[in-house]
Amino acid sequence: MALYFGDLLPFSSLLLEGLWTALYITLVAMVAGSALGVFLYLGKVGPGKAVSIFCSCYIEAIRNTPLLVQLYLIYFALPALGINLEPIWAAVIGLTLNNAAYTAEIYRAGFESVPHGLREAGKALGMKNAQIVRYIVLLPATRNVFPALTNQLILLFLASSIGSIISLPELTNAIMSVSNTTYRTIEVLAVGGLLYLGVSALLSLASKRAETTLFRWAVGARV
Amino acid sequence: MFRAFDWQDLIPLAKGAWLTIQLCAMSGILGIIFGLILGIARTSPSRIARWISTIYISCVRGIPILVIIFFIFFGIPLLFPGLELDKFASAVIALTCFAAAYVAEIVRGSIEAVPRGQSEAADALGLNYWAKLRYVVMPQARKIMVPPGVGFIIGLVKDSSLVTVTGLVELTHAGNIVTNLTGDPIMTFLTVAAMYFVICYSISLLGRLYEKRTGIQVDPLKLPEPASV
Repeated sequence: MALYFGDLLPFSSLLLEGLWTALYITLVAMVAGSALGVFLYLGKVGPGKAVSIFCSCYIEAIRNTPLLVQLYLIYFALPALGINLEPIWAAVIGLTLNNAAYTAEIYRAGFESVPHGLREAGKALGMKNAQIVRYIVLLPATRNVFPALTNQLILLFLASSIGSIISLPELTNAIMSVSNTTYRTIEVLAVGGLLYLGVSALLSLASKRAETTLFRWAVGARV
Repeated sequence: MFRAFDWQDLIPLAKGAWLTIQLCAMSGILGIIFGLILGIARTSPSRIARWISTIYISCVRGIPILVIIFFIFFGIPLLFPGLELDKFASAVIALTCFAAAYVAEIVRGSIEAVPRGQSEAADALGLNYWAKLRYVVMPQARKIMVPPGVGFIIGLVKDSSLVTVTGLVELTHAGNIVTNLTGDPIMTFLTVAAMYFVICYSISLLGRLYEKRTGIQVDPLKLPEPASV
């Protein structure tokens, strides 16, 4: 069989719109999810026992079930309770709730990897707990968390393709509809794959660059 | 029109769960074999081997698994018209392609985490490349690979839910079928989620048991680094 990419040209705007939707839901879910993740993390390590158990259960439940099943619950099960959501809102809510659990674990790992001696030193200096967190732990913890968060952003972008299964018109959905119209399956999958690859490579490069710029002070001295 | 969700509906779901387990076991084992080869190639002294494996790993890790599944399921019959693959075989191939790249990254990370002095000592003893790998580097790298490996297998179980798009009746697809029979998506998909939870949580418990017995720190939450191009 001969490959021919010309048939795809009329559909390039459809593919680009799909890519835009994918980026849009990724960014919204990243911002909302990592903010929600802060509360989950604080709830988990906080003093309230019931809150802590709830947050741990939430995190474990999300992390041990597939995103697709979570999306099905939001998109197919919520309407049975009388809540109807557009595919884009179902995808945004699903990715946000999913992302929150993963970022909460990233924060936990980031804060736990700050050496205990730093906290003890703060205590020996007579600092209060809040001061220790603000002036000693926060900065190295941020440095530990940053690469994991940008990694999570890329994984989230790739995961946004799952939105196509609940008929959200993002990139994967656009790829399949172009394939069904033109029968140029291999060509459109190759083009779509390259779009995904290009964006995730750009995100990866940008985050490496941001990391070296933001944390220049910590080069060679990973804490 | 619909009947209520009852215990009979657990039977198709359990069959789906069994298929999910078979799917993950096969693609997991094949993925580990190819991932080991790719990961060793990624750190080998041969430049061509390094390039090929780097390109493969970066490509697969930068593309969603769903697109890979579509490529294998719709693309292979077009590229090789004579070849007939059933749904299970193409699902295994897609998950193996995907798994190999992620395992390769874990293998590379573990090999690079073995202190350089070890490999230099092996050089000083006059061991050749394969002997160095076999007797010095891999036994130490093996221990480092276990914790991210456990996290990876859990990820594979979750990602296997995506082969539902090919029509293979694994756990998620069984959930769809039961929903269409009962009209009760809430109970059905909560049950499906619970079944995935049991599978994934047992794997992470096994990982923790291994940690206790061997003293290796297992953190199943750890994910491999992002695709670097």
